[in-house]
Amino acid sequence: MKISLNWLKDYVALDASAEDISRAVTFLGFEVEQVIRTGAPRLEQVVVGEILTRVKHPNADKLSVCTVDVGPAGGVKTIVCGAANCDAGHRVPVALPGAVLPGNFVIKQSKIRGQLSDGMMCAPDELGMGVDHAGLLILQGKPALGTPINDVLPAGDTVFDIEITPNRPDCLSHLGIARELAAWFRLPLVYPQEKFRGEVDDTPRPDLLGTVRVDASEDCPLYTAHIITGIKIGPSPAWLQERLRAVGVRPINNVVDVGNYVMLETGQPLHAFDARKLGGGQIIVRRAADGEKIVTLDGKERALSSRMLVIADAVRPVVVAGIMGGENSGVADDTTSLVLECALFRRQSVRWTSKRLGLASDSSYRYERGVDPHSTLEAAWRAVDLIIATAGGQVVGPVYQVGGDVPWKREIVVTHDFICERLGFDIPAADMKASFESLELHVVREEPTPQRGIAWTISIPSWRDDLDRPIDLVEEVLRLYGTEKIPASVVSMPGLVGDDAPIVRFNRRVTDYLVGHDFHECVNYTLRPAKELATWVSQTAAVELALANPFVEDQSHLRPTLVMGLLESLKLNQSRGVVVSRLCETGRIFIESNGQNLECAAVALIMADPIGERAWRTRAPVDFYTVKHHVTALAAAAGVDLALQPLVPVSGSFYGWQEGQSAAAGEMAAGWTARFGLLNLAMVKSLGIEGRVYGGIFAILPEKFAAGTLRRRYADFSLFPSALRDLALVVDAATPAEEVRETLAKTTRAALGGAFVLESVDVFDVYQGSGLPEGKKSLAFSLVFRATDRTLTDDEVNGVSAKIQDELVKTTPYQIRK
Amino acid sequence: MQATLTALVTKAQADLAALRTRPEFEAAKARLVGPNGELTALMKQMGTVPKEERPAMGKLINETKTRLQALLDTALQQIEAGELARQLGPAVDPTLPSPDTGPGTYHPLTLVREEMCRILRKVGFTVADGPEVETEFYCFDALNTPADHPARDAQDTFYFPESARFGNVAKKNPGEKYLLRTHTSSVQIRTMLQGSPPIRIVSPGRVYRRDTTDASHSANFHQLECLYVDKNVTVRDLKALLDYIFESLLGAGTKTRFRPHYFGYTEPSFEVDLSAKHLPKVNKEWIEIGGCGMVDPSVFETVGYDSTVWSGYAFGMGLERLAMTLYGIDDIRYFYQNDLRFLKQFA
Repeated sequence: MKISLNWLKDYVALDASAEDISRAVTFLGFEVEQVIRTGAPRLEQVVVGEILTRVKHPNADKLSVCTVDVGPAGGVKTIVCGAANCDAGHRVPVALPGAVLPGNFVIKQSKIRGQLSDGMMCAPDELGMGVDHAGLLILQGKPALGTPINDVLPAGDTVFDIEITPNRPDCLSHLGIARELAAWFRLPLVYPQEKFRGEVDDTPRPDLLGTVRVDASEDCPLYTAHIITGIKIGPSPAWLQERLRAVGVRPINNVVDVGNYVMLETGQPLHAFDARKLGGGQIIVRRAADGEKIVTLDGKERALSSRMLVIADAVRPVVVAGIMGGENSGVADDTTSLVLECALFRRQSVRWTSKRLGLASDSSYRYERGVDPHSTLEAAWRAVDLIIATAGGQVVGPVYQVGGDVPWKREIVVTHDFICERLGFDIPAADMKASFESLELHVVREEPTPQRGIAWTISIPSWRDDLDRPIDLVEEVLRLYGTEKIPASVVSMPGLVGDDAPIVRFNRRVTDYLVGHDFHECVNYTLRPAKELATWVSQTAAVELALANPFVEDQSHLRPTLVMGLLESLKLNQSRGVVVSRLCETGRIFIESNGQNLECAAVALIMADPIGERAWRTRAPVDFYTVKHHVTALAAAAGVDLALQPLVPVSGSFYGWQEGQSAAAGEMAAGWTARFGLLNLAMVKSLGIEGRVYGGIFAILPEKFAAGTLRRRYADFSLFPSALRDLALVVDAATPAEEVRETLAKTTRAALGGAFVLESVDVFDVYQGSGLPEGKKSLAFSLVFRATDRTLTDDEVNGVSAKIQDELVKTTPYQIRK
Repeated sequence: MQATLTALVTKAQADLAALRTRPEFEAAKARLVGPNGELTALMKQMGTVPKEERPAMGKLINETKTRLQALLDTALQQIEAGELARQLGPAVDPTLPSPDTGPGTYHPLTLVREEMCRILRKVGFTVADGPEVETEFYCFDALNTPADHPARDAQDTFYFPESARFGNVAKKNPGEKYLLRTHTSSVQIRTMLQGSPPIRIVSPGRVYRRDTTDASHSANFHQLECLYVDKNVTVRDLKALLDYIFESLLGAGTKTRFRPHYFGYTEPSFEVDLSAKHLPKVNKEWIEIGGCGMVDPSVFETVGYDSTVWSGYAFGMGLERLAMTLYGIDDIRYFYQNDLRFLKQFA
């Protein structure tokens, strides 16, 4: 809200500088977004002068040398000027040597490019009047030479643009801010004194207004109406226009301006009707009928609903209550009698209607936040005074008042000790009491308590609905004491009461792993476009992941994978000519499973062909097994051993993985899932990405971490030497290596019969091609045997080896490759 | 005989020096000192030496044997050195760059988050986590945000359709809607409901606002919040924590100040300003860096803590904003574009 300093001075005798006031407002708890100075500040040694001659500066193209007559202030001066409009004949502000312009700019006699200059002619910004630096300020109306400039220019004002927190609607007014500043500076606050205080000749005037009825009192707890007749609509007096302009409100006419003025002064919105235009001389506060229409002051037709409150006359709605008047009931140039509405509307009702209609105003803003329920009549009287003063006329007929009969009383008991304990330091009781009183939080009782110091019973004024509990008064005391004075101290903390959440430790561990493997950690948006999801999940899953109210089209769905974001980062780098290969990310993803979404912690990586990279030595390219290696390590960080998990090929046309070149495990059956391999070539190409991209992702339900991991038990190992045998098997090319390995391991263990141990069995060669039948491949395994109690002899190992081969030939389709 | 022995040594000296491989060496060794070697042959001739010369001759033979052994050892060392030398390629040019990619980099948001967590751990705060999809209860109701509060508007908060189901985010009340959390304060509520005081947590995480993306706004960003619940926690303690955090982060001479403010879940509430003119691109005396306050008694009541016994404070800040201040970054979107030229600057 814009607050004018001149205006504030009507209520509190502030003599502090604008800087100090700005600081006070800040530490009272309101953010000063901007301080705007209007008009001219007080300036000494700046006078009216007339330019007599102008010649080009001999040593500078853009400068002129002028002679300027400042009359009795010093006669004719020579002044060098850079402005384009320093033409002879203009009267302009002249800062004489010794003047101090805003910004602490001291004017001295000086030489400019070799020419003596005895002062400065000024542009508006140099006088502190806004930011205009287009040229000299040309003074109109031939003011006398040598006149102090403040006698010629409009008086200055300082306007503070202040953000009012939602708990303080009382400060959406000059009086509210004045009250706060009076408390801060410990100055008295002077309220406006209304001459009119409700006394009228209440002879009915049904010709002007016969009835005021409230049909929806829960949404309108108080409605008042005053009738003023014999007014003359015209422009407001200069002082009123100046006040409004200072705070950014356009003057319209005396009645409308008074309404705005009183709202900006007290925070209470008002509305004036032309009495002639109220059909049937009636005011009815009621709910609108569904589909009822009104054309509001902004010229738009609005369709109303039965939850909306309107002010209506006998035939039609004339105001959307508390928000905006109708086009055809307001005051006009020929209005002579008016009805002044000053009312209370329920916050929630105004808010709902304003939101629903997409219609807000200074009035609705205040009603939504809460208007002081017990100052309504004072505001009405204030407006009546000002209307009569500016538009003439008199109050006639009865003053209508419906509702408003619930008295206000709130008291809070708080002790001195309670406040000190909450603050952690001591403020003398007398200071606290003075703070309360200065905010009009009157101490109605004060009594000592046995253990808790003085107990105050404090009466809370009706405009401070935010104060409800003793803790609320702690803040009031601290605000006025000054939060800058909170004493420093040392953080005193005993030991840890917990440890970092397991999921946090997982994220750290995998990020450390990936960064240690030369990946660049990325952060991408969680919300992704619908069309992108089609690549990764089924249609039904995409529906489940949709937001109800996306803000922009390309951020409409929760991400089901981190890979899409990484591809976007990849593409961005490629398109900017940055060589990029390894990217990774940790973060939440959302996986649809059996008709519900699961929020999962995930870690993903991509390894792309480093397009544009030119190295003097080439390294082995990345393949499926590179990403398998990394994803296995990531899964291990979550306690999942991928080597023990069945891996299945990823299939299905809507997935982003390349069929036959990728694998999946887990699939959320045990609360985790892993996918890795080559990303679909066509999909990658369609994104505009060059080259092949391998990727991998591991995701797990956060609650899986809460279970903790089993403590591993140590297993003894043999210190005797191992015996090694190789065995190559010829199998169908389509048979997975792991299936063969498992069969071999099982057969071997059976053949051993516990005599000694098969320590490991691993593939060390895969061969397909000449020397083998079509459709076959050879898998060569290395078997490591060991006994716990002795060195194995060749004979016993050979015996077992022969037995394995016999068994394999008998029970499997595999052939032994000799 | 003596002359023969001397000649043997002289010849061996020349022959052995020329050896390059182990087989050559083994052959030479056999030829000299093997069972059929030259020295052995000479020793066999001892019988022909007159008896009185035998001791001197024996001594001479032993000396020859020792000398030959020394020559053999030297030759073997040379061969081994030669073998190791052959494993090496030509000398490297150490100024050539490594053809391997890397090193990897941590995202600046991770760096800032982890630094904050380390600073806070030193004074007893450990990291807590919670879901990003939340319900109205945890995000608003429990934090004293009334049903008609503007922050809850569909205009400012992302909601899910009433039909949406999140299997691992439990609703407190059946009728409430799912939403994307607007602050990490929901983690405070979950932590307080699950545990019991004293509590000292820091909860960094991703939050969402329905906002236009521009240089200083982003549809999702990251927050970091601290919550401390214990007996006799005071405003002064809160100020001490903030002073400690920012002095640790930015060095001695960094100042913080509190400005009274309003948040529904703290009372009193403050905005926190930071004065650190030594940072890059800082041209203001005070930078607004976060919000804080004493936990509102109504929040304690919601989670079932007795507000006459327990008190506490909470502090929250935006991580992007902190990172922007620390590093002098002027556009929040850079955090989400992942241009490597950006990412590589913070490692």
